[in-house]
Amino acid sequence: MKKGRWDLSRRSFMKATGLACGYALVGARMARESAAAVLDMVGLRQASVYRSEADSRIYTYRKSQDNPMIKKLYATDGFLKEGPCGHHSHQLLHTHYTDKSRSIKALKKRGITLSL
Amino acid sequence: MSEANKETLKGRSIKMEGVHYTLHTPRVEDLENLYFVEVDPTICEGCGECSHHCPTGAIQEMNDGTRHIVDQAACMNCGQCLVHCPYGAVAERVSYVGEVLEKLKDPDTVVVSMTAPAVRYALGECFGLPVGSYTGGKMHGALRRLGFDYIWDNEWTADVTIMEEGTELLQRVKNGGTGDKPLPQFTSCCPGWIKFCESFYPDLIPHLSTCKSPIGMLGPLAKTYGAEQTGKDPKKIYTVSIMPCIAKKYEGLRPEMAASGHRDIDATINTRELAYMIKKAGIPFRSLADEAPDPVLGMATGAATIFGTSGGVMEAALRFAYEAISGKSLLDPSIKAVRTDNGINKVEVAVPGFGPVRIAVVSGLDNAAKICDEVRAGTSNLHFIEVMTCPGGCVNGGGQPVDPSVMEASVFKKMMARVNKRFTMRKMA
Repeated sequence: MKKGRWDLSRRSFMKATGLACGYALVGARMARESAAAVLDMVGLRQASVYRSEADSRIYTYRKSQDNPMIKKLYATDGFLKEGPCGHHSHQLLHTHYTDKSRSIKALKKRGITLSL
Repeated sequence: MSEANKETLKGRSIKMEGVHYTLHTPRVEDLENLYFVEVDPTICEGCGECSHHCPTGAIQEMNDGTRHIVDQAACMNCGQCLVHCPYGAVAERVSYVGEVLEKLKDPDTVVVSMTAPAVRYALGECFGLPVGSYTGGKMHGALRRLGFDYIWDNEWTADVTIMEEGTELLQRVKNGGTGDKPLPQFTSCCPGWIKFCESFYPDLIPHLSTCKSPIGMLGPLAKTYGAEQTGKDPKKIYTVSIMPCIAKKYEGLRPEMAASGHRDIDATINTRELAYMIKKAGIPFRSLADEAPDPVLGMATGAATIFGTSGGVMEAALRFAYEAISGKSLLDPSIKAVRTDNGINKVEVAVPGFGPVRIAVVSGLDNAAKICDEVRAGTSNLHFIEVMTCPGGCVNGGGQPVDPSVMEASVFKKMMARVNKRFTMRKMA
């Protein structure tokens, strides 16, 4: 066999393949970790919400209707004494919506394509 | 305040938590012409990450390869482009921070803070705390130190929202969804979703709950009920909405948000802007003791704090509806089947004395469009649908601290973007 530039001893071949495998593993793991980090950020925040919610040191009550300050608001002598969806509620806490499709149609007329 | 800081406050742009902001307090009349986010073409490398995350396709490619928003009308102001841009090229064009700092210094103005649930699960990240740390107590403490006169909390009005929206749902169900109040009922807390429905599915507007969002309720309650409880003149109350969101700035400016006889919401800032204010004031956030909000318009339940995550409004509403319909006590408030991290989740929840309550939880506007198509076609038998614009809900909102790995991650992608940009520039020249 002819001697060439890439002839390796058994030892250096093992070293090269070992290094290559190592880098491949570390690289794949790092890539996976960085992808997971982006997804996890939302997951971690969500998990924390549910942990705090069930922690009686942070929230004494877990149902809106049990909140003493909600009972005070809707009490018979309270600020919203007619109860939820009463007249006063409708004035302050309810709203109406407006059709905004005209501006989207105008965009389409101008030749702009949206994804919907 | 140093000379330099004075200049930046008067000036056009400052950086807060890695994001560029233009200090600009808009007028209500300008609402439909305002851009809340914009791509800075001098920073944009044309990688297209923003277009990929834009639910309406409002961010499009220009001739030179950079991206821009085609029109304000097509943008739902969700800011998903901003939190995913690896270059920090997407900037916010509305910031009330300058005005809020002025009002805090004015002894004649009663400044009120109104914080959304999701803010307290991300604010800590700006101060080096682990992702997701609960910092509600520290947040209230920091707001007091910043000089807010009353620490009220949007979680309290999340509880009010459940009472109002739950009662509305029961009325719709009782009437069989007839008349101008059809079924399914859609939630109305998310301002991106509301603009989306008004723009792309206006025929479904009668399905939207008529309830304002929790902040839409706290604004007018602060200036009526709050004024009454504290003995303050509502004219002197300045309400600051603190949100994980950019679209809430749009909502706060809606002309109809004046039910109290004044502007209900005077300013809207987000989690990043609050972190900036706390740092600027030199408040040692991490070592603050936990403090409670002022209770009358501040005390809240677990049902309120879960508004910050996708599925939370639904779970909170079911805790109310279950007891209201059946007259029985719900022994375990955790209704885990509705908790949703992504996509569309349809569930039936058995309620004694009624039968199955059929609900869906949706996050991401592409998924919302699918559900809307079903409702439009009349093939949906659901009672109640929760929609959130940002995947996973408000904890992933466009006003939250940006994930540092978004900026650091893909070196390869960044290199390709740079090569591509140079190529298109050369082609054009």
